[in-house]
Amino acid sequence: MKRMRHLSLKVAALGLGVLLAGSLPAWAAPALTVSPAAVQIGAFFHGQTVTISGAIPAGAQAVLEVVGINADEHLMRKGRRGMLWMNVGEIVVHDAPSLYLVMSTSKELLTAPPPDATWGYQALKPGIRFTGGIEPAEREEFLGQFFQLKESDQVYATFPGALKIGAAVGAESKLSGAFPLPTNTKPGTYNVCLSVIADGKVVNRTCADLTVEMVGFPALLASLAYQHGATYGVVAVVIAIITGFAMGFLFKGGGGH
Amino acid sequence: MFWNLYLPLAGSSTNILLLFGLGGAVGFLSGLFGVGGGFLMTPLLIMVGIPSTVAAASDSNQIVAASTSGSYAHYRLGNVDFKMGIILIIGGVLGGTVGVQFIKLLRAMGNADFVIKITYVVMLGVIGFYMFVESLQALRQKPIESKRVEAPAKVSLYNRMIQALPYQMHFDKSGVTLSPVLPLILGVFVGILAAIMGVGGGFIMVPVMVYMLRMPMHVVVGTSLLQILFTCINVTIMQSISNHTVDMVLAIILLLGSTVGAQFGVRLSKRLKADQLKILLASIVLLVMVQMLVSLVLPPHLMLAHKGGH
Repeated sequence: MKRMRHLSLKVAALGLGVLLAGSLPAWAAPALTVSPAAVQIGAFFHGQTVTISGAIPAGAQAVLEVVGINADEHLMRKGRRGMLWMNVGEIVVHDAPSLYLVMSTSKELLTAPPPDATWGYQALKPGIRFTGGIEPAEREEFLGQFFQLKESDQVYATFPGALKIGAAVGAESKLSGAFPLPTNTKPGTYNVCLSVIADGKVVNRTCADLTVEMVGFPALLASLAYQHGATYGVVAVVIAIITGFAMGFLFKGGGGH
Repeated sequence: MFWNLYLPLAGSSTNILLLFGLGGAVGFLSGLFGVGGGFLMTPLLIMVGIPSTVAAASDSNQIVAASTSGSYAHYRLGNVDFKMGIILIIGGVLGGTVGVQFIKLLRAMGNADFVIKITYVVMLGVIGFYMFVESLQALRQKPIESKRVEAPAKVSLYNRMIQALPYQMHFDKSGVTLSPVLPLILGVFVGILAAIMGVGGGFIMVPVMVYMLRMPMHVVVGTSLLQILFTCINVTIMQSISNHTVDMVLAIILLLGSTVGAQFGVRLSKRLKADQLKILLASIVLLVMVQMLVSLVLPPHLMLAHKGGH
């Protein structure tokens, strides 16, 4: 009997949900332009500010996420041995994006998001897995530590209220914003997604690619170093010897070690 | 911005002026005190955010350039004992190879940063303390006879030990007779330290040559530079093959800075007293050591760290 009541309550709740969803207005897909769409890491790369512009339905809020590919990451947990702090075990982090930047129109969307929000760090949490030297009870603590580590690396960041909504023109509002790609951004393709938020839920979404590639001298050097380590080492030594001789002649033997 | 340069092996961008300034500051101290600056360069690079393994390996590459000009200048003055140098080089290459593999193993275990830091703390602590006490005594004008009285007792015991070693040979340039086993072992020791710390090892090798190999000072500096040159060539190549941590762009900027800085250091050193210089250097060495020690003793801000310094 109890079971039947439970079932009927569930069916009623489901019906109400369907009814409410049906009564929500259909939200148009947002427009999104990322500029530049391709970032090049050259010899003088010092990070890059990427601007975004777009349009969302008037009256809606929005969240923009920049997401790198998921990759396993090997980290060390620190602990105390005697008087000294040192690495005491390895933790492998699975399925965490290599880069995660998120910005919102309203500050509250990131500072006090709804419990079931599908954006921000809390949305990443269920997908991230830890293996190695970690107990299940430590998961929540180390998730916080992981986000802090990523923030200190500048590859994870939240920018509450950084997306600016312009005045409504007809049924839509213009949107603009900018996010910093850090200096240590790895080459690859990143997903930039603009989500329209209404009543605390994502109601539509548009994504675009942002490509980051190493070019010129850094690309040449990295390729030589990783694919031809011995040649790279010899080249490094030869350049150092030539530079040493040149500086020696220039300053007549100064700067010895 | 133009002044920021991307270091592909370090995987981030750094201000050229900052690197040039660091090289200049260490070169200035090098010129001022007449000692190598490698043992200061790596910790300073770590402090400005270069991963420790990249800092140590790139510093070795920088030392190749610095010791090239120095050893060539000493060679022209006839201050290089090639016979002794070759034995030290063989030892250094063996030690460097062992050291690089050791670092590779430590990186796999995630303890490379810790070992590099603790090695620095110990070496800087011992050398800084010794220099500080010695120069303080000199400044207080304590008689040096007491040292000379103590020395023979130690020397005779030490002499007996080194004379017991096999294959005794004479080194004409240095004017000493000893077994090649001793410089070989010392070369291995310095080579291992060079790989771990990313230094040429001059600050260890010079006292070793003076006190343990009994070589005259003018030959010591030239021979030490030659040995450092070859040790660091080996370390640079081994690090490039095994760990991919040599950033030659970083090394060249540091070298340019250190060479210019050294010129100003040499000029200033002529205006200061030797013991004042030594106590100043000892203070700097101890300061760097304390900074590194504090980072090992104080609880870290985060309980997670990247593996292998990257």
